[in-house]
Amino acid sequence: MTQTSLDRLGPVDYAVVEFPAGASSFTGEMTNELVALVESGIIRLIDVMILTKDDDGSIEAIELSDVPELGKLEALEAELAELLAADDVVHLAAAMDPGSTAGVLIWENLWAAPFASAARRSGGQLIADGRIPIQAIIASIEADELVTEGV
Amino acid sequence: MRPGRVGRVGVIGHPVAKTAVVAKAVTPGPAPVAKAAVVGAAVTPGRRRRRI
Repeated sequence: MTQTSLDRLGPVDYAVVEFPAGASSFTGEMTNELVALVESGIIRLIDVMILTKDDDGSIEAIELSDVPELGKLEALEAELAELLAADDVVHLAAAMDPGSTAGVLIWENLWAAPFASAARRSGGQLIADGRIPIQAIIASIEADELVTEGV
Repeated sequence: MRPGRVGRVGVIGHPVAKTAVVAKAVTPGPAPVAKAAVVGAAVTPGRRRRRI
């Protein structure tokens, strides 16, 4: 893996994608999209794990390398940095429902790195960031509608 | 899990709370497609929301 300078490191995000028991339908579409994001230089995949949570709440963490027939993911797996620690697995699995399986992704937002570097060189400091849930946008729009309707 | 992950300082820091599932939030109601369209319109570039 190419060593990334701290000065040029983009924001690092994570996502936990849960698949409720019996609800998964893997067609390869997710893999294709993930590979496309990496190959286009939008993100750099840092770590991937697959978590399962039994009905009794016990957690099993599976490395991507332990998955047979990775296909297109094989090249990405070879570049992973193994950032997550065992404690992180417990913390992330706290969000999962018993009986579910989840994919955990850690990635660097390469698209944001040049701007972040420029901001640092300009003396700027990141003091807050986050994600606006779609639910919050819906709630905001609905509140506006209620005001407009005079309710 | 690889042995290298054990005993290392983590990066998440605290138990993660489950976020509301977007599909479930958009689905309820008489016209879920219309609602999704409204959200899409709200975040369309150049589109500003105005109160009447």
